Amino acid sequence: MNIDALIAYVLQRLPELWLRTGEHLMLTGCSTLAAMFIGIPLGILIYQIKWLRGPIMGFIGILQTIPSLAMLVFLLALLKQIGAMPALIALTLYALLPIARNTLTGLEEVSAEIMEAAEGIGMHEYQQLMMVRIPLAAQVIAAGIRTAAVVGVGIATLSAFIGAGGLGQFINRGLALANTKLILLGAIPAAILALMVDFSIGAFEWALRPERKKDKKRSTKSFMRLPALMLPVALILVGIVTNFTKPDWISGLQASMDYGREVVRIGSKNFTEQLILGEIMAQLIEAKTDLIVQRRFNLGGTMICHGALINGEIDLYAEYTGTALTAILKHAVMTNPEKALHYVSKTYHRRFDLQWLKPFGFNNTYAITVRKADASQNNWNKISDLEKYANTLIAGFTAEFAERPDGYPGIRRIYRLHFGEVLDFDPSLMYEAIRNKKVDVICAFATDGRIAAYQLTPLKDDRKFFPPYYAAPVIREELLKAHPKLGDVLSRLGGRIDDAEMQHLNFEVDGKKRRIAEVVQEFLKSKEML
Amino acid sequence: MIKLTRVFKTFDGGRSYAVKDLSLNVDRGETLVLLGSSGCGKTTTLKMVNRLIEPTKGIIEVSGKNVLDYNAVSLRRQIGYVFQGIGLFPHMTIEQNVEIVPRLLGWSTRSRRERIEELLDLVGLPAGSFAQRFPDELSGGQQQRVGVARALAANPAYLLMDEPFGALDALTRETLQQELLTLKNQLEKTIVFVTHDLHEAMLLGDRIAILHDGGLEQIGTKEDILNRPATQFVKDLFSIKRPRAWM
Repeated sequence: MNIDALIAYVLQRLPELWLRTGEHLMLTGCSTLAAMFIGIPLGILIYQIKWLRGPIMGFIGILQTIPSLAMLVFLLALLKQIGAMPALIALTLYALLPIARNTLTGLEEVSAEIMEAAEGIGMHEYQQLMMVRIPLAAQVIAAGIRTAAVVGVGIATLSAFIGAGGLGQFINRGLALANTKLILLGAIPAAILALMVDFSIGAFEWALRPERKKDKKRSTKSFMRLPALMLPVALILVGIVTNFTKPDWISGLQASMDYGREVVRIGSKNFTEQLILGEIMAQLIEAKTDLIVQRRFNLGGTMICHGALINGEIDLYAEYTGTALTAILKHAVMTNPEKALHYVSKTYHRRFDLQWLKPFGFNNTYAITVRKADASQNNWNKISDLEKYANTLIAGFTAEFAERPDGYPGIRRIYRLHFGEVLDFDPSLMYEAIRNKKVDVICAFATDGRIAAYQLTPLKDDRKFFPPYYAAPVIREELLKAHPKLGDVLSRLGGRIDDAEMQHLNFEVDGKKRRIAEVVQEFLKSKEML
Repeated sequence: MIKLTRVFKTFDGGRSYAVKDLSLNVDRGETLVLLGSSGCGKTTTLKMVNRLIEPTKGIIEVSGKNVLDYNAVSLRRQIGYVFQGIGLFPHMTIEQNVEIVPRLLGWSTRSRRERIEELLDLVGLPAGSFAQRFPDELSGGQQQRVGVARALAANPAYLLMDEPFGALDALTRETLQQELLTLKNQLEKTIVFVTHDLHEAMLLGDRIAILHDGGLEQIGTKEDILNRPATQFVKDLFSIKRPRAWM
């Protein structure tokens, strides 16, 4: 890409880049501040009460080891909401360790000689702490805050998984779409932000340090002190202001207040097909109803989408019958598609007040997939053909597939396939891995456009192991009652997208790197639905 | 007046003694030097006077009252203490270091300011050029002058000095010794001064108490000690055979 095209690309994305950077700053800044208010007193407390050190530092340490996505899912279940709040709490919990630990270390490291002087001249214990020990520990504490903030910038990229925005949104989208430009659009500003945050806290510290006679540039210091102090404050303010003046938030609010138009919030998981389905439903609703559509796409997986739906944080998203059956309802696999759909819609209605609308038509089941060349050379047609070869093959699975009962554990049981090695991949990287011969077998999605494009062959599920994965809109019944028309509009999509059509749409986005909105518009027009 | 009566301090649950059956008194306005090698119990004795360490047995009185009957904090504020490692607060300016005890005692800003100027003048560090500096901008000798000023700040009747010049180079040490000599004649404080330096003891002490292994060998003026050594240990101390560097 030449430099002009690059500049044009960034300029085109500039408004969103600005917004996401602001969100990112808000998340990092507020969580670091919160962690300071909790972590510093906590550090002082455990310094004073020795027996609390083990339990509290242990607990904070364990928090640190919880994978961020697991933490987000847990907080979602606890708080029953997506967005900034669970992200802020998760980030605060992660920031606690460096701050509390440095507070404790800083307090412990104050020289015994100085503390004896403090006691010897007649300071009360709390005076020794407040006037001597804490001020002398301040630098070490500040270093902890700095670590927490810089690490926080990195972790905050994961907030995008639960719809809290931030630069992670570009990264997630880029990963979902295998689009390096998008990934860099998030990753480079995040790295720059980390440096800025580090610098601003350093400047703050510098400005607080008292002026020394021996400092040659005294006047510079007095002159620069205020700006240096304001730097981190300014960063946080920019974040908060940007965060709460986001254009769609304001327009959404005004629209709903001024014109009595209501908002429907559509969610999606974080892979291409889900983004396309979300966009299809969004454009159709925008075209055929008065409702304002809010897109809360790219949520980090099934449990986050489902959690958001039952907590009323989103109103609908596209779910797959098989996923609903096994991952959400924890039910055994059902191979008959009609029975499966009947069961999930009945149970969803009874248990969650959620309604399944008509399926789109395609069956995005898992497909154990190999390279076409390998298949013809070894005469592989069905999954059971792999049994003899499995221990010499390397499998690349999504993390979800590796664990789900209707994934690898089931495959091992039903087909007795024990692969030589199993590697976990992000969905989009999995296809690159098999294409580049890093792995030999993957759990492709039947509708993925890259199956055809990358010369891959899905093997036949001869023991009928995989449950059907028919996708359909799942919607909150409350909303459906308020807007019956919504059901009619979405039902028009029923049976209109078959496997080939979905493969085609996926490839337009994944393979040809076209914009989703454009691909979807073209599709809806071709079906004469707009 | 400070008075110790049969004071013991044991460590390790009574197995080892830091101070063993020590009785002595320091008269008003007098400078008593506690002289001894390291581990003889002299610093422990000093710290027991302002309750940084509590005695295992025996009675310590300050102004005729058992130190255990004082509130420890208010006792310490009545006794100036000059520490071996100087112990200035590195995050405070010289001025803030000096005024710390008056501040703890709640003196007004104005009287504190006057006192700072007076004291810094007294120890030869004019407030104009030193008050706003930080300890690490001063030489070791200057820092200990500030240490002395801090100890004198609230005008205590007693001054405890724990090897205050031990860490300084020989030249600076001699200067400060001379200054202290002048100072003590000027101020009329009751001073307990701990040292391992025989020469320093002879120079500064009105009386000298020689400690060995936690016990008192002899107490008296330098003439007493030189002319009438009470024990073999004291006699050896001054014999020519012993190099002066012994202590």
